[in-house]
Amino acid sequence: MGGQLIAVAVLLPVVAGVLVYLIPSPPLRRVLVIATGAILGITAMVLAGYETLEANLPATGLDWATTLGVADLLLTLLLIYLAVRARHSLASALAALQLVVVGYVEFGLGHRAEIQPTFALDRLSTTLGLIVSIVGSLICVYSLRYMDEHEEHHHVAPSRQPRFFLFMLLFLGAMNGLVFANHLGWLFFFWEITTLCSFVLIGHDDTPLARANAIRALWMNLLGGLAFAGALGLLVVRGHEASLRALVDGSAAGGAALLALSLLTFAGFTKAAQMPFQSWLLGAMVAPTPVSALLHSSAMVKAGVYLVVRLAPGFRGTPLTYAVAFAGAFTFLVAATLALTQTDGKRVLAYSTISNLGLIIACAGINTSLALAAALMLILFHAVSKALLFLSVGSIEHAIGSRDIDAMEGLAQRHPKLAIIAAIGIVSMALPPAGMLLAKWVAIEAGATMPLITVLFALGSAATLGFWARWLGRLFTSPPGAARARVRLGPIYTLTLGPLVAAIGVFSLAAGLIVDRFLEPGMRLYFAGDALSETGVALVALGLPALAVAIKPGQLRPAYMCGENVGGPSSEMFYTAGEQQERVGISSSLCRALFREESIVRWGNPVAILLIVILFGMGYR
Amino acid sequence: MIEQLLLAVAAVVVAPLLGGLLYGVDRKLTARLQGRVGPPIRQPFYDAIKLLSKDLIVTTEAQSVFVWGYLLFTLSALVLLALGQDLLLIIFVLGFGGVSFIAGGYSTKSPYAVIGAQREIFQMLAYEPALILAAVAIYMVDGGFAVSQIVTSGHPLLLSLPLVFLTMLVVLLVKMRKSPFDFAASHHAHQELVRGILTEFSGPHLAMIEITHWYELVLVLALLGLFWASAAWVGLLIALAAFVFAVVVDNVSARLTWPWMLRSAWSFGVGLATINIALLSVAR
Repeated sequence: MGGQLIAVAVLLPVVAGVLVYLIPSPPLRRVLVIATGAILGITAMVLAGYETLEANLPATGLDWATTLGVADLLLTLLLIYLAVRARHSLASALAALQLVVVGYVEFGLGHRAEIQPTFALDRLSTTLGLIVSIVGSLICVYSLRYMDEHEEHHHVAPSRQPRFFLFMLLFLGAMNGLVFANHLGWLFFFWEITTLCSFVLIGHDDTPLARANAIRALWMNLLGGLAFAGALGLLVVRGHEASLRALVDGSAAGGAALLALSLLTFAGFTKAAQMPFQSWLLGAMVAPTPVSALLHSSAMVKAGVYLVVRLAPGFRGTPLTYAVAFAGAFTFLVAATLALTQTDGKRVLAYSTISNLGLIIACAGINTSLALAAALMLILFHAVSKALLFLSVGSIEHAIGSRDIDAMEGLAQRHPKLAIIAAIGIVSMALPPAGMLLAKWVAIEAGATMPLITVLFALGSAATLGFWARWLGRLFTSPPGAARARVRLGPIYTLTLGPLVAAIGVFSLAAGLIVDRFLEPGMRLYFAGDALSETGVALVALGLPALAVAIKPGQLRPAYMCGENVGGPSSEMFYTAGEQQERVGISSSLCRALFREESIVRWGNPVAILLIVILFGMGYR
Repeated sequence: MIEQLLLAVAAVVVAPLLGGLLYGVDRKLTARLQGRVGPPIRQPFYDAIKLLSKDLIVTTEAQSVFVWGYLLFTLSALVLLALGQDLLLIIFVLGFGGVSFIAGGYSTKSPYAVIGAQREIFQMLAYEPALILAAVAIYMVDGGFAVSQIVTSGHPLLLSLPLVFLTMLVVLLVKMRKSPFDFAASHHAHQELVRGILTEFSGPHLAMIEITHWYELVLVLALLGLFWASAAWVGLLIALAAFVFAVVVDNVSARLTWPWMLRSAWSFGVGLATINIALLSVAR
């Protein structure tokens, strides 16, 4: 039963994707995507019921080792073809090197015993599975309407949606395979498919910028892929079993295993867009918004942090764990500061993602059971909140024609529903009582064992509050008398944004309970506070918005402009010399002199590279 | 349970009386230092009552939400402290109060308020890390984040965390909006008629913000008192001394620029706390 369920989770999206691609009929596409999402969601929920689950590939006439080898080679050849076609020498060289390594590992070393089990599931994998299958599916369903609007905006004809949905669905299948695999060879195969999918999806709009950013994502992830392949080769050459389990439970201990662990962690860093690889994730925003939502919340970057968190027990107690913790905490702080410098909504979200991924990786490095529980909570709560935020920014962009925070000024008046959904997303990211804050709380409690890390946490945490506060305020700026618009969200958007909002509500009111019952039984012991106080804070937060209704129109006045306000409804206007009327313009950008993106990146990247060198130094002994 | 309820009620009712009174003392002391007679000590209450009786005027509906958010979350933080809950949770809830205040400033389309809100963000960047580090340092000494545990531990924190205590004094100055950290909105109109982030808050809302400041003052002073919690009266004296210190500093220093504040709060505040934490780790 378990084995079949895994097969459904991995193969169903692939089959559905191929069907969507081959039969380009919009109604069929709609039915297929929604049905696939529903089945995937149910499958993931059933799988989450298992405490642990192991499954092997069915014993057919097929020689699985050879099949995997051929599949890996074909995939690498495809990546080489794509890199060469894009005329990018670095990406081509990396892919070619990977071909050499993969070819040697798969065919140069003769026959080896098959690794058992191929798939092994536990709490971590099934939680990731839930995220991929439910949040990922919701994003695919959302795309059904979004992509229609997108192609209308950009006058795309003929429709390129079949190709888009092929890779979106393939992404879900590959992610499921990736988080369920125990066999490192298969994990690598799924890993490289996610690289392929992200390359295709980032470049989907086929503008020069999209092509450039797609190839950047490709070479950075190929670098990670090469490290992954190197780890695989190292393990095989040294006669270790190339499985996650062997790496984690210490049966593949010793110098080679530690170096393999540092290589795999590095691969995780590239995929999770840790500094200095953050630029590919920022560049990925040229893609249609659902792609960003998928990359940031449930797929791709989550694969990176998943691998690091998964391997964490394997390097517990070694110097490597400190290097990982420090690198993660560094990215947490620097990316949070970078988010302060941005006014483009999607870039703020992107830096916030990178920052949170850094926090997750730092938790993996702190490596106590409490810290790993915090990492799991962060992965789950971040996925839901970030998906909601990206999808709402996507809808806002289509509604107002911009995704700049400054353009969202007064959104609460123009599009109340979208503003409230975005506000819920923001509140859930950094403020009590939402799960994210609970997770951060646990992370800091866990981090208290590594004081230096805590200093970075403390500084980053403050910056996080800063950039969310700024955005939250801008949404509700509204001059009195501004026109009110009522936009209908429509069935597709309601169907996808609704469950995410509901999930955030549940995570806020019952975060403690969820952690206790589902994620990490017994972790309550660590909390000094009780669930009641937390829920009390939650109720206060939920009750507040009702107060906005209490304001009567007569109580509204224009803001103070040195007594030079132009009266009447055009209250954003003030008189300048000669009774000329000027409009007040306020930007949310914060002090460009101190927080400049370029200067922060200029010193941040070298430090991050140094940290990665240290990471390898710790692994090479 | 009954005892806890009483504590919570005390926090809600007594704290603003105490905070208002302290600000009255502040004004009196400041006046004397400046050679004036100064208002009666009850003046803050008169001000608040007068403001509360005025008509409510706002520039956007959301202002109301954010003002209430500022008040209720600061209040919640104080109640959590009175109930001996987790120190980090208290700091986060207090942080949300601060975020709410900033969002309130941003939500008005006034250049003055927005400058104030931006500066308030800088204030937050200055004190938030210091608070978290203080909590972590306390954890390292007492082995827990629960305030109830700190109170019963019997060991005065001040002896092991003198540098963190200095950091907390900086937090007190920032939170009281005192010179040299009073550039988002000053309590005394030292420098400006327009009060930064408060520009668009009037009447009852302004009174609520004032009352929230009273709660905040009591909360931060209580955190300072925690540094000698084993004997409550010593803790009280320490808190009072810190308060007088803040008033004196306010009067002998000028308001400085925000880059200076960030630098000094990060190097002096966060730096000292970090050194203290490092010393603790070495001592183990």
